[in-house]
Amino acid sequence: MSNFTIPVGPLNVALEEPMYFKVDVHGETVANVDIHAGHVHRGIEYLVTKRNVFQNLVLTERICSLCSNSHPQAYAMAIEQIAGLTVPPRGEYMRVIADEIKRVASHLFNVGVLAHLVGFESLFMQVMEVREMMQDVKESIFGNRMDLGAHVIGGVRFDFTDENAAYLKAQLDRIAPAVAEITQLYRNNGTILGRTRGIGVLSNADAIDCSTVGPVARASGINYDVRVKAPYAAYDRLEVPVYVLPDGDVWSRAMVRLQEVSTAIDILRQCLDTLPTGPTSCTSERPSIPVGEAIGKCEAPRGELIYYVRMTDSPKPERVKWRVPSFMNWDALRFMMKDAKISDIAIIVNSIDPCISCTER
Amino acid sequence: MSVLPDNIESRLAAVAPSGIRFTSATNAKSVCCSWCKLANKDDLLSTASLMKSIGARLSTITILQPKAPSTPPPKEGETAVVPTFFGGIASDGKTFEIDYHFDIDGDTLTLVVYVPYGGDVQSLTTLFRCADWPEREMMELYSVIVRGHPDPRRLFIDPGIDNAVLERLIPFSTLVNSATTKGLWEKILTNKGNQQ
Repeated sequence: MSNFTIPVGPLNVALEEPMYFKVDVHGETVANVDIHAGHVHRGIEYLVTKRNVFQNLVLTERICSLCSNSHPQAYAMAIEQIAGLTVPPRGEYMRVIADEIKRVASHLFNVGVLAHLVGFESLFMQVMEVREMMQDVKESIFGNRMDLGAHVIGGVRFDFTDENAAYLKAQLDRIAPAVAEITQLYRNNGTILGRTRGIGVLSNADAIDCSTVGPVARASGINYDVRVKAPYAAYDRLEVPVYVLPDGDVWSRAMVRLQEVSTAIDILRQCLDTLPTGPTSCTSERPSIPVGEAIGKCEAPRGELIYYVRMTDSPKPERVKWRVPSFMNWDALRFMMKDAKISDIAIIVNSIDPCISCTER
Repeated sequence: MSVLPDNIESRLAAVAPSGIRFTSATNAKSVCCSWCKLANKDDLLSTASLMKSIGARLSTITILQPKAPSTPPPKEGETAVVPTFFGGIASDGKTFEIDYHFDIDGDTLTLVVYVPYGGDVQSLTTLFRCADWPEREMMELYSVIVRGHPDPRRLFIDPGIDNAVLERLIPFSTLVNSATTKGLWEKILTNKGNQQ
């Protein structure tokens, strides 16, 4: 058998966004992977220092579409800490609602693409149809299908009417059984199991070594979820079970995501049942932001998202730095792809739910 | 409930002989956020090893050049006083501040070092594998030198672009290769001139 170096990407049908892998193969087996990034680098960390605190809320939402809600949330959390603002209870619940709606849609998208890569097109369409119900929720409550524009400094800008709540409840009642059905398929279907069980294994030790976060870490036995470990918004008042699986293969990562979809639906129901009354934002005016620095952390669909903000006497921040969950998970691909077959590369890459526009900013 | 060891401040002080300045705050949801400024950047590796030994995860690294504080001009006969950071490094607007954000089971601890312009800092890749990418990004954004990095290639920015992009102003038209604005018009006019 001969040794080759094959390129995968930057533009490849199996990748949703451009990333370039140089894969050394020995026959059909992957020996080494080199990752070349930077195709969608836009310099947003520079741009945020040229805009004021409130404009940045809009800009950070546009870093990425699938976790577009988590960016302004973590950013707003950091600014609120600097300004000493407390989000009112209803606002905190609203933040959780926006967060979990996005999580359901994001996880279903990834799990759906897995079915597509496996070649199980009817399942792909079934999953996307279920996701579409959540897209309808976003559109009717927030007016947008991807960027919700939910956050302001000090709370949220949207509120629920009884009609909204009833609609969300009805949609959850439709989505929950559909998700249960999909989960059973991923658990038992031979086609799915054959292509995902034991593929792209990331051992617990390697997962810790690479500092992986989110479902990738939890599928390798790391019990870490920001919602539980460093509670924010209303998560300290809600029941948030954390699913951890030991095997670290593609299947485990998909199962963790599917379980988290069910958990998210449950959290949404808890929110609707216990939604406090009152204002959704602590101020209707733009608060003045003093000098200071702070860190905001939240659990984006892909894992821990961390924002660092430094304010000086200018209305523009001196520095905003954020690290998205995908940034940490790329390195784990080297371990997952070790000794993998060429035909499994796309499935393994998809299993970390990579977000390239997030990673490169 | 904070998971940081109670004696973390004294343990950090013990491995940083040049001195530390430690502050800590716990929010209403019991999440603790601590900051530890190191007087000497050479204490970074020993303090980071301590973090590793208590099970911390390196979350990310922030690098910036803090703006120099505005000071009134010196009176006649007096020499200007240059403000300094903790540890005595001049706050001249060019000094690098590097913040290493660690996560300890939900709590955050940030190690802060100051590196004079043109100076270097030790790589943490020997302790934390995940320091690789953040340090590569650090090197392409600023002219700071990271000593002992195993793979100091560019991460996101093309090698054809000059180093230290965040240290200088790049006009938007240059950034987008004259794809828009005045730069494009000037490019067209120049090309037209060449053809005639």
